[in-house]
Amino acid sequence: MKIWRFCAHTALALTMAGLAAAAPAQQKEIKIGVIYDYTGPLAAGGSLPGAMGTKAAIDMINERGGIEGYKINAIYADAQSKPDIAINEMTRLIDQEKVDLILGVFSSGQCVPMAQMADAKKKVMWATICVASDVVKGKNLTHFFRVQVHSDQYGETSCKFLNENSKAKLGKDPKDLRVAIIYEDGPYGAGIGGSNEINCKALGMQVVLKEGYSATTPDLSSLITKLRRARADVILHTGYNPDITLFWRQAREQGLKWSALIGHGAGYAQYDKLHAAFGKDADLIFNVDPAAAQLLDPKTLKPGLGDVTKEMVKRYIAQVKDHKVDEVPPHVSMGFNHTYVFLTDVLPRAIRKYGGISTEALRKAALDTDIPVGGTIQGYGVKFYPPGTPMSGQNERSSMVVMQYINNNTKIVYPTAIKTADPIMPLPKGHTFAP
Amino acid sequence: MMQIFDVFLLEAVLNGLLLGGLLALLSLGLNLVFGVIDVVWICYAELIMVGMYAIYYLYAVFGWPLLLAMAAGVLLVAAAGAALHQFVIRPVLAAEPINQLLVTGGVLFFLQAAATLAFGIEFKNIGVSFPPIVVGDISFSMPRLISFGVALAGMLALYLFLKRSYLGTAIRAISQDRGIMPLMGVNPHRIFIITSALGGGLAGLAACLLVLQYDIHPAIGLSFGPITFLICVLGGLGNMAGGFVAAFIFAQFISVGGFFLAVEWGYVIAFVFFIAVMFWRPQGIWGSK
Repeated sequence: MKIWRFCAHTALALTMAGLAAAAPAQQKEIKIGVIYDYTGPLAAGGSLPGAMGTKAAIDMINERGGIEGYKINAIYADAQSKPDIAINEMTRLIDQEKVDLILGVFSSGQCVPMAQMADAKKKVMWATICVASDVVKGKNLTHFFRVQVHSDQYGETSCKFLNENSKAKLGKDPKDLRVAIIYEDGPYGAGIGGSNEINCKALGMQVVLKEGYSATTPDLSSLITKLRRARADVILHTGYNPDITLFWRQAREQGLKWSALIGHGAGYAQYDKLHAAFGKDADLIFNVDPAAAQLLDPKTLKPGLGDVTKEMVKRYIAQVKDHKVDEVPPHVSMGFNHTYVFLTDVLPRAIRKYGGISTEALRKAALDTDIPVGGTIQGYGVKFYPPGTPMSGQNERSSMVVMQYINNNTKIVYPTAIKTADPIMPLPKGHTFAP
Repeated sequence: MMQIFDVFLLEAVLNGLLLGGLLALLSLGLNLVFGVIDVVWICYAELIMVGMYAIYYLYAVFGWPLLLAMAAGVLLVAAAGAALHQFVIRPVLAAEPINQLLVTGGVLFFLQAAATLAFGIEFKNIGVSFPPIVVGDISFSMPRLISFGVALAGMLALYLFLKRSYLGTAIRAISQDRGIMPLMGVNPHRIFIITSALGGGLAGLAACLLVLQYDIHPAIGLSFGPITFLICVLGGLGNMAGGFVAAFIFAQFISVGGFFLAVEWGYVIAFVFFIAVMFWRPQGIWGSK
């Protein structure tokens, strides 16, 4: 029902946007092409919650009267979990719909070519969720901006977390810790897997297995056999869905054990889905991701942002009624927060300081962005690496946390300074995956 | 240095055998339909998806006993197979093969889109879990073992049906000479409908086993459709015994290849083998020219 309701709202928004376009021009508007996966496997893997977050931010701003006299005219497009469709939709939105900005995208596999296209077509692209570092690394992009963290940070965070807790929790020096790295072999998984290997090795850990697989593979039994042979203490896993649930199901059926499993966003951010599929076996999973806004203490943020988070959660829960507040996926925060930053920080500056919503005005306004830490609902600040630098277009102030699902609640366990619970590892005796 | 003949290699071989059982069951229905009607159901994996959704809703939503839900799922997909022939295949039976292929391809996209609209994009599962089967240091999956047993039983039952029953004899006869059988009083249309229902029923049987091992979503057919088709072609399209053996060969390449190299290399080796066979025997290993 929730999907129907969301689709109906989207359709209504599309219709209203169409009517608005047909009516005499009474109010200025900025046309934004919003691209997410509304269908296909990536939709349930986190794209749809991200899309709902973005739409909530746009609706909220429009209900408040828009920005500097401009209404937000969002044109929503479905990438269908396919990079070629995403490219086609981006082309259509730019060439036919004449949008002023491209916003969105869940999959890194789509983000890589779209970022290149944004530069080639001289149209600003504001990425919300895709994370692969390779989207920007060494590309010197001039029209692409990403507030979101990037995949190198995922790999670094999980290894630092292990380094800090290995001795105290697992009773092993990091140099004795056996780590296995498995990942879907697209830009997203391969980027994080590569970063895991570099960072864990740099901290002296033993990487006993590193292997990628296709997210659509029908069988992972040979990978699980190799993991059993490698006797890893910790598994670092990056995947979408349905590969994560396939891995978990086959791991359980083949008797794989681990002291700790650390996921890296995407499918692991959908704890409600994992819990529905695996019940208590899903308890005590770790997930590395930007913090879900509702988990942060609003007192640590800029005044007023706590209310914005409440509004985001309220709008999401209204569409997905069976959710607990702390189970609202991080993707909702990403979709909402990164859209909200553009609408409330970049867009007003473009209009006021640079005279409108031309590509150059939007680009200059984006490059001027300077939000300090604590200035967004997810806690991090925003400042983009400028053109001519290796990570041009990437937010240099993005950061992430390690969460753990403990007794059906999501807790922050790292960084230590903001943790809301102590990490639990190794898995306690009696847990299905406990060694 | 890794021991080549270790216990984990044996586990990989056994897992390959069990995966072969699953793939063999998937290929049975597709081969039966092609062998008799001479039409490839490109939408075969999507029929399996329909069966999986039926079992999910009957069991997890409406509370039917699992076995009863599975029986209903088999019957539903059997009926869908018969309907597919009556309303989609029959009008193009005399058309060019490419037209038949395209029309079943259209059904594939229709079923995917209809499932998205009707059931949403959420992944669903029936929430049934199985403990591992552990023999010494080797572990393997119970649902896979069940699939293996059902595939063997299904193959045997189909063989006996085709060899020993009057209807089976008629099906085999019409597959050998579609023109002459009407002169002997056999109604080809009736045989085609029965064969399509049987093919659908086998897809339903595969759905019963897949629903124990995979999440259900509208695109699940993409994980199995292409590989099932390749196995049928490798064994000789329409040759059920050939498809059965080819499934086990393919599965060993995937499992053992994935064990010695990376998982994806297992598929690469399997597909290279497929291409090589196509150069050597374009009609498939057990296919007739």
